[in-house]
Amino acid sequence: MDLYKVLKDQFGFEQFRPGQEAVISHVLAGNDTIAILPTGMGKSLCYQLPAYLLSGTVLIVSPLVALMEDQVAIMKKNGEKRVVALNSFLTHREKNRMIGDLAKYKFIFISPEMLGRHQVLQQLRAIDLALIVVDEAHCVSQWGFDFRPDYLRIGTFFQGLKRPVILALTATADDKVTNDIRSYLQLTSPVIHRESVDRPNISYNMLQVDNDAEKTEWIKTRLLSTTGPGIIYVSSRKRADTLAGVLQESGIAAAAYHAGKGQEDRAFIQEQFINGELSWICATNAFGMGIHKDDIRQVIHEHIPATIAGYVQEVGRAGRDGKQSVVTLLHAPEDIPKTRFIMQDDIPQEEEIRYYEKLLGENKQADEAAEWARISETGKRIIDYYRERMSLKEVIAQMRELIRDKERQLEQMVRIVHTEQCVREQLLAYFGERKTWQPEFCCSNCDHAQPLLEKSLVMPNSTKTLMSWEERLNLLLVRQIDWKEAGTGQK
Amino acid sequence: MDLSTILLTIVNKMDGERTIYAGYHLLRGKRSGQTLQDVEYYGVKSFFGILPKLSMEQFEEAAQQLEQAGYLAKNDDALAFVTEKGRMRVGQCPSYQFNGWDYRGREWVFFERLSLIVQTVSNMGAGERSFMPIQKEQAIQDFVKTLLVKQPISEPQFAQSIADELKRSIRQSGMDELQKTILTHRLSGFRMTGWTWDQLADQLKRNSFDIRLLFIESLHRLLTVVHTSDDFPFLRKVAANIKVTSYLTESSMKTKQLFERGMSLEEIAAARNLKRSTIEDHFVEMAINDPQFPLSQFVSEEYATDVIAKVNELGTRRLRILKSEFNALSYFQLRLILGARTGGNA
Repeated sequence: MDLYKVLKDQFGFEQFRPGQEAVISHVLAGNDTIAILPTGMGKSLCYQLPAYLLSGTVLIVSPLVALMEDQVAIMKKNGEKRVVALNSFLTHREKNRMIGDLAKYKFIFISPEMLGRHQVLQQLRAIDLALIVVDEAHCVSQWGFDFRPDYLRIGTFFQGLKRPVILALTATADDKVTNDIRSYLQLTSPVIHRESVDRPNISYNMLQVDNDAEKTEWIKTRLLSTTGPGIIYVSSRKRADTLAGVLQESGIAAAAYHAGKGQEDRAFIQEQFINGELSWICATNAFGMGIHKDDIRQVIHEHIPATIAGYVQEVGRAGRDGKQSVVTLLHAPEDIPKTRFIMQDDIPQEEEIRYYEKLLGENKQADEAAEWARISETGKRIIDYYRERMSLKEVIAQMRELIRDKERQLEQMVRIVHTEQCVREQLLAYFGERKTWQPEFCCSNCDHAQPLLEKSLVMPNSTKTLMSWEERLNLLLVRQIDWKEAGTGQK
Repeated sequence: MDLSTILLTIVNKMDGERTIYAGYHLLRGKRSGQTLQDVEYYGVKSFFGILPKLSMEQFEEAAQQLEQAGYLAKNDDALAFVTEKGRMRVGQCPSYQFNGWDYRGREWVFFERLSLIVQTVSNMGAGERSFMPIQKEQAIQDFVKTLLVKQPISEPQFAQSIADELKRSIRQSGMDELQKTILTHRLSGFRMTGWTWDQLADQLKRNSFDIRLLFIESLHRLLTVVHTSDDFPFLRKVAANIKVTSYLTESSMKTKQLFERGMSLEEIAAARNLKRSTIEDHFVEMAINDPQFPLSQFVSEEYATDVIAKVNELGTRRLRILKSEFNALSYFQLRLILGARTGGNA
């Protein structure tokens, strides 16, 4: 079996990225595998390639509908049409039709909710599964920053059945999370493959300022004097909008991106960013997963992320092309309570849980009860899972424990923000790794000389020009004929 | 065009007989008995459901602007009416060509299909066979696939003919220059990304909400042209099933079927396990929408004629006033008469 031949024929690559070959070999050898590959290392190839060497269908459990659809679109774009996404956003008819002919697909993406449906499970059991992939597997761990109770059920779905190999994929997992993945997914003596989270071409910078106004000023100056493309992570939708406004006024080609924007607008912004019409995106953490842009030069955080794992994932979007990139975290004294508030707001407190329970007892609809009790969507998901399994008292205790754990994680993040030691070393230590060598531009504590990120001359500015409506229709539909003749449209 | 002038136009039609919130429900397309009746009585069908996601905050802000400008006031019953100054303002408003009653938000589906078609044809024409579809929804993708599968999508003539239909229909629709710009810049294709609402707002110096209103109206205009003229065979296919075919709500439809099978109002309520008042709403909806509605089964012809004469004499459709004039009639009977007799041409 020549992996390189498949790599070349199916994907057009000559070389594997670090870790891919090892993970694929484990899977093909029939081992349950936990693969921890940093963002941008081409996780999806780890299940796409084996699919062409195994008979049967690959089932991929994925937590986010957007992520799933993005992945499906990319695969279709690359010529693989036997791919489908099953999620709860489909209409009843669409769903029934798809479930009816699951066997004809080579790749089935599915949300954990859908996996819980009897009808779906029946169908899945009837078809020949070659491999089960659990994407973003850290979601299984309640210690992780993205706990998805539905994920805990994955292990039990295939209990007692002859199941194929499970491949658990994630970008970040410490030992605790790895153990959770192993036990909840009921993996049988899995091989654990961990690629280093170290990204030598990223220079880490921590910068303390006095207040939010100073952050805005710093960002403005920075963007006018250094290069993009880049992402600025902010803590709220509103802030994303206002910051993008401020930057545009300074002539910077920036736009806001968050879940509050419509689907078309989000697609336009992504496309403009990837095409280079926009150089900066002001985003909430809704932006990133599924963005395929290799030349991101900078990532700026203007708030303290709630966890180190989340932070590493977000900054990991910089410099996937291997070229020098800089990430900067701006923090002010008032940030810690702010982050703590946002973090705690997601976890239901005792009174809220009791009120929710009371409303349910009065036969209120679950969604409505959660809204009345001011419990977030994530919060509801978590409590609902525990309510099935334990008493109210235990649920409350569990939530307290969860808050304490989140608190611990935030403390660890804060410690790195304030550390006087090497930032890289600290980040690596958190994931149980040791720094083995010193890049030239390591971090703000190792070396104050930052890499030169000169603003390139071709950076777009914020002036986009409208054209006449007829001209635009011509360019869209008629003048492309010229492009074709000129041969520029050919790949 | 902005929300407050649209609201002023609506209140002007409702003529001091409804609270300001009737306008809110109308714009959001609430399918309750009251709103559906208002639509008929006051001739505001065109505004029905043009903003299904309108927030209360946005609505109240627009209402406040009108009050502060002295165009609109409220009486002791909280009923909104247009002041003299407001009436003059209404006179200056452009005539809107919304058709909310027929489209009910489905104009967006039309546009989503159109934008995916343009993107596909644009890319294919340029020899680019792989691109990220701008519309992610499966139903839209399936529709477009089915429509394009038998078409020569890589042929320049095909792209040309779509461009041609679009240009002609846009011109015929009577939309203004601003709207033409907005509509075409929301389309994307080979090496041409679309413009976000914010980007359009920024360049056109309008707020993005108003931009969207202009966009919605331009789609209604376009759809009207496509539906009424035979000159746009391709666009007519794109617009398939966009216009509502039955004006009744699904639930009213069921009631109607049972009624046609000979069941009484009480029997229907019992059979469907619904409140009597709900079934009454369904009957009123039927009276409004069905020219064949057998009004005489519910109230005598004499009464119907008298009530309509009174409506014209008093110039009001307020039920409370009519009830005091016709004490022998129930509210339900009055609503049926109003629905059946003052329907469409009110």
